[in-house]
Amino acid sequence: MNEDLNTESTETRKCPVSHQRVLPTDGTPLKPSPTLAEWAKEGKASPLSFTDGHQGWIVTDHALARDLLVDSRFSQLPQRIPGALTQVAFGDQEPDERAEEASRLAGLLAIDGPEHARIRRTILGKFSVRAAKGHEPKVREIVNKQISHLSAIGPGVDLEHEYSNPISTAVHGHVLGIPEHLQDKYYRLFAGDSSQAEKVYFVREVLEIKRLNPDDSVLGEMIKSDLSEVEEEGLAFVLFVSGRDSVAYMITTTTVALLQNPSELEKLRNDSSLIPAAIEEFMRYGAMFLTLFSRTATEDVELQGFRFSKGDSVAVSPVAANRNAQVFPDPNQFDVTRDAFGHLGFGHGIHGCVGQQLARVELRVAIESLISKFPKLRLLEAEQSRPMDFAHPVATYKAGRATVSW
Amino acid sequence: MKISVTQDACVGAGQCALVAPELFDQDDEGIVIALRPEVPEAQEDLARKAASLCPARAIQLIES
Repeated sequence: MNEDLNTESTETRKCPVSHQRVLPTDGTPLKPSPTLAEWAKEGKASPLSFTDGHQGWIVTDHALARDLLVDSRFSQLPQRIPGALTQVAFGDQEPDERAEEASRLAGLLAIDGPEHARIRRTILGKFSVRAAKGHEPKVREIVNKQISHLSAIGPGVDLEHEYSNPISTAVHGHVLGIPEHLQDKYYRLFAGDSSQAEKVYFVREVLEIKRLNPDDSVLGEMIKSDLSEVEEEGLAFVLFVSGRDSVAYMITTTTVALLQNPSELEKLRNDSSLIPAAIEEFMRYGAMFLTLFSRTATEDVELQGFRFSKGDSVAVSPVAANRNAQVFPDPNQFDVTRDAFGHLGFGHGIHGCVGQQLARVELRVAIESLISKFPKLRLLEAEQSRPMDFAHPVATYKAGRATVSW
Repeated sequence: MKISVTQDACVGAGQCALVAPELFDQDDEGIVIALRPEVPEAQEDLARKAASLCPARAIQLIES
């Protein structure tokens, strides 16, 4: 085990200037930067220069990534993430104290331990495998509506804008329990351009309505729990923001992957019973997160023969881990029949995606319907074939425009 | 093979109920339940898969 220790890498940290390495920007959702594979060859983790200039690590190895994400000695407190929620939340606008606190809690992604577990547990039941299956009829209805929409305006449509985004937003709004008459506003504020303050005020507007009549939606369940109003705001905020764009991203990116790999698409068309398991390959091959929110070592830690020092920032890369050849043979091959379970497309550990079972249902129904309703579907142009800017502050890919015809 | 689950650790990701629905379920709060303490031989691989996928290490298997 000892020969694996990162003595050499530790040395490089002493001279950051000559060894500064930043996240590569030449990757695309389906074709990660070759730099990641080079780093993965060097070791399980490599030195990384973060956007604010401080030095830390990027984990490219699958096993180390998984071990690290379940290790409570690594904290997700955002002290070293530039642009932590509390600092940037309101931009130029004057934040009120309550909104600041809600904003802190909105970083459920940024708190750990019992506080995080208590808040997360209030809504877990609404995202179980069974709960997700229960939403399938509504998901199907929403997807069918968008299929009709495509037929009406196409061929020659931007899938992200006309299919993926409307589906993920409508399902998200429905499951959370955003009132019908506010769904358009939800779409406008959260899928479009708006300030953090506008979003927080919208969350409050919705919660005021839900408090009058807490139903069995996610928000209703949260209101019936013993969370404080500020905690409710924080949790609602993170739920309004998270997952909506990622599901849309996955629908678009998966479609691009299938249309670029016709033999794989054919397998699914010939046997739709392959689709549920193929979801895992979609998530592995097209993972959205180049890195997750970085973790900080709260003490010296040795994991998988790798030494982290107290205070080190560590960015785990699902994209790199998902292309680990030991775990996923021939990893750059998109193979809808492989067993891709164990991918990090939904993250891992206590901060792993809470809505992943719902996301699986949405992705399955959206892809299944699209490929069966349009047997001659073809890709005209995918913006994501060329590198695009990341969504910040975490390095995530964007789906971009994907123009399809049939 | 026997199954033991640590409900306090469970984060409700549902991986176990997804890959091994005859062995695991989630209660109304989304927390793991072992449906049977003994794993039938034919299901042992699925039990191992569920345990290895668990993001909270909340599933322990006791091999007999």
